[in-house]
Amino acid sequence: MATVFRYTLRRFRGQILGWGIALALLAALIVGIYDSVADQQAQFEVLLESYPPELMAFFGADDVATSMFAPEGFVSAEFFSWMPIVIGIFAVLMGSGLLVGDEEKGTLDLILAHPLSRTLLFMGRLLAFVTATLGILFIVWLGFVVTMNWSTNMNIGWGRVCLPLLALLAELLLFGALALLLSMVLPSRRMAASVAGVVMVASFFITSLARIDERLETVAKLSPLNYYQSGEAIHGLNWQWVGGLLLVTMVFVLLAWWRFWRRDIRVGGEGGWRLPSFSRLRLRRGQSQRPPEPSLSARQRPSDRGEGGGKLRRRRQAVLLAV
Amino acid sequence: MSEETVLMAQGLKKSYGKVRALRGVDLEVPRGAIFGYLGPNGAGKTTTIRCLLDLIRPDSGTVRVLGIDPQADPVAVQARTGYLPGELQVDPNMMVEGALRYFNALRGNKADWGFVRQLTERLDLPLKPPIKNLSHGNKQKVGVVQALMHRPKLLLLDEPTLGLDPLMQHEIYRLLREAQADGATVFFSSHIMSEVEAVAERVAIIRKGVIVEVAETASLINRALRRARIRFKQAVDITPLASLPGVTVLSQDDSTSVTLQVEGEMDALMKALTTFPVSDFETERPSLEEIFLAYYEDDQKEE
Repeated sequence: MATVFRYTLRRFRGQILGWGIALALLAALIVGIYDSVADQQAQFEVLLESYPPELMAFFGADDVATSMFAPEGFVSAEFFSWMPIVIGIFAVLMGSGLLVGDEEKGTLDLILAHPLSRTLLFMGRLLAFVTATLGILFIVWLGFVVTMNWSTNMNIGWGRVCLPLLALLAELLLFGALALLLSMVLPSRRMAASVAGVVMVASFFITSLARIDERLETVAKLSPLNYYQSGEAIHGLNWQWVGGLLLVTMVFVLLAWWRFWRRDIRVGGEGGWRLPSFSRLRLRRGQSQRPPEPSLSARQRPSDRGEGGGKLRRRRQAVLLAV
Repeated sequence: MSEETVLMAQGLKKSYGKVRALRGVDLEVPRGAIFGYLGPNGAGKTTTIRCLLDLIRPDSGTVRVLGIDPQADPVAVQARTGYLPGELQVDPNMMVEGALRYFNALRGNKADWGFVRQLTERLDLPLKPPIKNLSHGNKQKVGVVQALMHRPKLLLLDEPTLGLDPLMQHEIYRLLREAQADGATVFFSSHIMSEVEAVAERVAIIRKGVIVEVAETASLINRALRRARIRFKQAVDITPLASLPGVTVLSQDDSTSVTLQVEGEMDALMKALTTFPVSDFETERPSLEEIFLAYYEDDQKEE
């Protein structure tokens, strides 16, 4: 399993650094901006009060005038509130491709022919995914900690910045596990990533809209992002929510493992299924009318048989020439 | 299953949706054999091999590989088996050496690296370039090396010489014979008859998911049809020849030459020919390829 873990993590290297550094820079930028915003708080408050309250509620900044200019409110609105669907893209893409990516490329066939149980491969890769997600969040955390050192107004403290990142981690693992499970059930990685992505974005909108429209509150209870604290976690992490999210993640992971353990490893699309489409139906009808194709290479067509193979024919030509 | 049977399948069935890939495959491969598994594309060769390694699960039937049920203990089977997939794909960003070391690590670093170097040198496979820069043939060599490098007891090779030039093909045959001399059993699939003829002692022919023939390669060739080309000194009426039992006229270019197909022994034809003014007589044993095509043609007629 260690080999699988190391190898998978090495493949994640670029992703970890790319996402991590880009978002750490964004975090640094936000900390930097906060310094100037805090200096001109009065003007900004006037500006923000002119916005419709629904808009502010949508972005989770209801009592914006007071909270937004506190360091916690600022990083929450500017960074943490939308990070789940940003790093969520990483989680969904990596989760859906964790095993099926290699299966679709055809490389999984040979790997699984090695003395390595499917469970170990699954666990090794899953651990690498979790580690990669942690790695990205760690770099983001570093971005916060380093820039907060220089900042005059942003003084959350390195320990407390961890808390919203933990809340974020729980969401990312959940979406990653969902994508992984879907990739085991749906016919292609792309479809799994699309569906998981749609669930993620829908969850974001439902949770955001539910803040404005009370009728959505029941539906929003099913939305994973309903249990995401964003920057509020700085004041104290809701461990119940994090625990709940991790529990659901575990369920997804177990289902995905069970499915992976039982299913056929595909090569060349066998055993896959597709949503029926008109073009496919037409194609199928066309195929049944076509005569069966001889699947031998061109030089071995049955038509050659009457005269023997190429060698025979050449010899025959030689005989004829001799005549 | 006797001690001497390395690989056994009974009533193996596998469907992909509506496609019935295997319709009851029965197979026995004796220990120490080089066994050819012959069939056109889509006959079920790859499906059979992948069932043996528990990469796919058969719908019904029994499989034993080295006495082990692959579904019950896949790791035990995989640890003793070298596998070359029919459609070999290796992570394109790895270097050749990196890929081989990775595969070796997945086997708990069992392979002797000196042997790996020896294999890559013999196959003229460079170790440094990344997989994505390799030609198809070189990629195939990576697959062959990883299958052989840990000296497995059983080799399951799906079209081992695919994309290799004739020189390399012969080097592979040599490697297979050496593996056999070391005590390994080789089971390889192919749709190229000359390949099976060149290296396999026994052959199973699969067609549409069913084994249609299992025989010694030599006996299969001996048993089958022969072809005779006869030239006559003058124009003759060949009706008496054509009416002999087991003889069919394949082609008659003019009244002085004819090509016949003879089933079984040549005796009757030879005796009949004594009354003809023969100027030239030539026979050819059919290649396995032609035998195979005979099976294949029957198949087409059925449809």
